[in-house]
Amino acid sequence: MHITVGDVVLPGDLIGEQDELKKVVYGPGLRVHQNQIYAVTSGIFKKKPDANYYYVDTFHQKRYVPVRSEDVLGVVTNKSGDIFKVDIGSSEQASLSYLAFEGATKKNRPDIQVGDLVFAKLVVASRDMEPELVCVDSYGKKGKLGPLPEGGFVFSCSLNLVRKILKKDYPLFNVLGKDISYEISVGMNGKVWVKAATIPQTIAVCNAILAAEHKTKDEIDEMSKQILKMLAYC
Amino acid sequence: MEDSAIFNVQEQWLRPLRCELNVLSRPDGSAMITQGSYFILCCYVNTFLYSYRVHIFFFKGNTAVVAAVYGPVDVKPQRILVDKASIETVYKPKSGLPNVADRMRETIIKNTCETALLSAIHPRTAVCIVLQEMQDSGGLLSCCINAACMALMDSGIAMKFLVAAVSCMISEDDIILDPSDKDLMGSKASLTFVFDSAKKNLVASHTSGVFSQEQYHESLLKCRQASCEIFEFYRSLVKKYIICI
Repeated sequence: MHITVGDVVLPGDLIGEQDELKKVVYGPGLRVHQNQIYAVTSGIFKKKPDANYYYVDTFHQKRYVPVRSEDVLGVVTNKSGDIFKVDIGSSEQASLSYLAFEGATKKNRPDIQVGDLVFAKLVVASRDMEPELVCVDSYGKKGKLGPLPEGGFVFSCSLNLVRKILKKDYPLFNVLGKDISYEISVGMNGKVWVKAATIPQTIAVCNAILAAEHKTKDEIDEMSKQILKMLAYC
Repeated sequence: MEDSAIFNVQEQWLRPLRCELNVLSRPDGSAMITQGSYFILCCYVNTFLYSYRVHIFFFKGNTAVVAAVYGPVDVKPQRILVDKASIETVYKPKSGLPNVADRMRETIIKNTCETALLSAIHPRTAVCIVLQEMQDSGGLLSCCINAACMALMDSGIAMKFLVAAVSCMISEDDIILDPSDKDLMGSKASLTFVFDSAKKNLVASHTSGVFSQEQYHESLLKCRQASCEIFEFYRSLVKKYIICI
């Protein structure tokens, strides 16, 4: 069976032979074994339009496996010595040094308690090592990273939904944003934090995100209109 | 052995499979598989212009299993493996506590899933597979393995290949594929084979009863052919789910 881009693949499907001469990247869902390329997850076999980058787009995934340089949202579960332990939904808790915050020194510790939410970047994510987080960029600035303010709401969703809503042309946030002002943090680990002016608005945004998972653009517009109409009564 | 490849799959059907993925909200992957036995009433309907042949399906009983997969998750220190993920299986019987036969089943499922998973890419973690028996109308072990495989696939964990389990029984004179519990009453031996999707190699084989070497080979051949039907089913299932997205 010959598999081309756009086909449905199942684990174990032989996709082709590795070409030594061509520079090709085999991304998630693919593995090279004895010069043969196999699929390891089920989904659609895809290629990035502008690069020789192939991957398998899975249809449903919930468990997060840390990947270096991804932004994740986690809950601080433990404070011990000079590190925080952060639950990011992976098999192991990630560590976050208290020096990895903007303006933090040995004397000036960040004010973070157990149970707080942090939005952080993974700097170490290897299968043999504990994942490590930072809340600063390479210039020592916090940017969008850091502890999240109080009063928001966090929920978990599938990793596919997260990837979907982080696409530049995803319509939901713009449509909702015309009438509701809200803040949102989306972690690649399937955790989303939302804070709007009122609690009903926060709930509405959360539900809209979850409900939009399998909707088309027109359906999203329609749903957003209904949500805004409902909120007017609150 | 005489080549029995002339054997026609259409004649010896597997019981129809039905599967739903992501049935449970909490686990990372879940699947429900039912394997129903039925008999067909074939009748002819004569109309003015045409004569139709109508098949009416009567479902007698189903073997139904729900499987849930958690993983890769944190592992207990005593179960930790430094070079690969440790796989745990829990088999829950319909009622009561698991007995020795259930433990046996658990182990077979665990070993089969261990072969199918690429456990080396998640060292020091655990993959937990929970199986809940819903109904047993024959072929429970193969149904469990297929459900576990579908749940693993649903969770998106890396796998070398998929597996398909096919059971068959040896009666006085012939081999019956995918027997129901009523068929099994007249069996001399019952065999379950598990094949991989890549090369259709035998992954696991579980037998009970008395049979000859030829009978074993013949049933292996029949089951291998029938496993293609299950792999086709898996593919159509994934296609169906992808269309929804």
